[in-house]
Amino acid sequence: MTALATETRRTTAPAAPGNPRAAVLALALFEARRLLLRLPVLLALAGYAAWIVWRTLQPWDDYPVLQDADRATQGGPLFVGLAALLGANHAVLRSRRRDTERHLGVLVLSQGHRTAAHALSVVPLALLTAAGVAAQFTWEAFKPGAVGTGSAAELVVGPLTVLLFGVLGVLLGRLAPSAVAAPLLVVVFFLLFVGAAFPFAGEESGAAWFAPVVSAAGTHPFPSGLLGRPAGWHALYLAGLALTAALLAVLLSGARTRTVQAALAAALTLTVLGGVVQTSGVPAATTAARQRASVTPEKDQRCVRRGTADYCAFPEWTPRVGDWARVVRRVQALAGGTAHGRRLLVRQRVEARYGLDGDAALAPSTTPYQVTVGTAWGGNRIPEFSTAVAAVLVAGDEKAAGELCDGRMVTVMWLSLAWQSDPEARLRNVRLDDSLTGSAVVLAPTEPLTMTAGQTEVVRTLLDRPSYGVAARVKAHWTELTSPQVTTARAAEILGVHAKVGADRCAE
Amino acid sequence: MRGVIPALVVPVWRTLPWRTLGAAGAVGLLAVGLPRLSGAHPDPWTALALLRSAALAFALGLAFLLDDPARHTTTPVPTGRAARTALRVALVAPVAALWWTAVLLLAPGAHRPPTGAVTLEAGATCALALAAATVAVHRTDAPRPGRPAATALLATALLAPLVVSDRWVLFVDPRDPRWATAHEHWAWLLAGAVTVGCLTLGEPLGRFRPTADRPT
Repeated sequence: MTALATETRRTTAPAAPGNPRAAVLALALFEARRLLLRLPVLLALAGYAAWIVWRTLQPWDDYPVLQDADRATQGGPLFVGLAALLGANHAVLRSRRRDTERHLGVLVLSQGHRTAAHALSVVPLALLTAAGVAAQFTWEAFKPGAVGTGSAAELVVGPLTVLLFGVLGVLLGRLAPSAVAAPLLVVVFFLLFVGAAFPFAGEESGAAWFAPVVSAAGTHPFPSGLLGRPAGWHALYLAGLALTAALLAVLLSGARTRTVQAALAAALTLTVLGGVVQTSGVPAATTAARQRASVTPEKDQRCVRRGTADYCAFPEWTPRVGDWARVVRRVQALAGGTAHGRRLLVRQRVEARYGLDGDAALAPSTTPYQVTVGTAWGGNRIPEFSTAVAAVLVAGDEKAAGELCDGRMVTVMWLSLAWQSDPEARLRNVRLDDSLTGSAVVLAPTEPLTMTAGQTEVVRTLLDRPSYGVAARVKAHWTELTSPQVTTARAAEILGVHAKVGADRCAE
Repeated sequence: MRGVIPALVVPVWRTLPWRTLGAAGAVGLLAVGLPRLSGAHPDPWTALALLRSAALAFALGLAFLLDDPARHTTTPVPTGRAARTALRVALVAPVAALWWTAVLLLAPGAHRPPTGAVTLEAGATCALALAAATVAVHRTDAPRPGRPAATALLATALLAPLVVSDRWVLFVDPRDPRWATAHEHWAWLLAGAVTVGCLTLGEPLGRFRPTADRPT
């Protein structure tokens, strides 16, 4: 505070008359400090910090994919931006509200210079947001499960949004000097950009890119080569828009010099350039790459051998092979017969043909002993993959596993869950309706499986027993338990469960 | 007193912040009207969000209703602030009702949420805005307390959906089974805002001394 005051004095003192640059800077620093200490801005910053911590500590975020994590930094700064809009507008209108415009009018600094200082005063808040974004992304990148690469152009969107909104507050103060204007604009922006009432919100390309933040968060992360997001052009568009708004505000304040006009023209050109290029849609090369990665992933993938299985993954995901191998090893250790040492192929697949926000399910593979793994990991994805491995070991391939409707389902679910900590909770997680009784759909990386009420009861009884005892019975009767003729009642009998199990009838 | 009120109607009508209210009302009408004009068919949730935003925009205008540049000179007049504030509210109420009817008619019919319940939400929001303004008048000496009142209302409205706990639901979908419960809460909010507004209607006499610390 004192240091700032000293600094201000030092910078203003040598300012020669007619060269108000130092004075503009000093005023900008003063206004920046006031802006940072305004209650809405402080609230927004506190909320932003809390949001970063809450979001990054979520268990489903333990395995971030960095080309998605960079985009995930963009939503939080919107609130800071709205607070910046209010605060900057408030500061611009202060001299009018307090009726000091007449006093300021006789000073060396013209209104244009003062407007420039107000616009500059948003920069420190944008830098603070940049620090927040950097902290959030670094935190994600240092998580042990992080894979992929982030993009700087996606990361600057948050700070640029804050800058743009703040500068729009300054411009609004010059265009409509009314106290109600900024709150109304905040309501409109909130509705458009946070409430998703923007007419093109949710689209992947085209006019949706005129909004400051285009999140298009899909359920399955894409390899970074398939994203096809014009992030660089969008950053240019945002920067150009912020510059245009600032220069327009300066121009409206009476500083109609040749320099300002030329700069405004340049900024407008940048904005139009960025704005036009970013809306030109997904490039044909990206569409082709998406097609190739979805239909023939083996052309892009790298394979490694771990234990009894080969793992083929997109190059960015190879650090995750260890996690997959751990699941396969645990499931296979419980299996008996030939399945115990069976060579598996774990292939990573992604359905990229329907765009980033498409949530089309992967078709089950018909290749024998091939297991599909998706691009997301952590949370429910782990028990789902475990179920897929168990189902392929028992049924032979994923297509056949999806049609299981007999006693083999008991073996599949027990293999899938018995090695996990708190298997009942995991069972609840993989069932679509989160139930523990009755029939249910069981989620897997490709098509789901089905469990009848009887199978659920038998599996739960088995999970309550010590797993070594059940494992011995499973291994001893492996051939019978995995034969297509085994009914659930027979499987229960073999495994020593005395439960009344009806006939196997799966929901149509 | 009875003869004074009719005499006050015209001057008070003229001092109402019509431009502010007009701007706020126009933003509300545009928020609901533009999607309709563009031929879009917003889903029920978006339609409700649009109506809520329109109500919030108008409430932000209402927060400026008690702005009175001549406050320091009107303090000692015999017709108390309570009567003048009540008159302001009474004058603006029919305009607000007309405006809200227009907004409801503009909202696409197929996806319009239950009218009574949304009107209750809008009424509670406007009452909160007016309560914020009367509290601001009561607690400060400022002749124009509208801006802080509007900022407080705006911050509350934007943060409430994030902060309000799930046990005291407020912002729900019409298809949500808790819709009725949420509207009981809105009714409580309306009642609370009206109570606070009535309690703070009067001039804060005794504490209010705009010239006490100035040398005469």
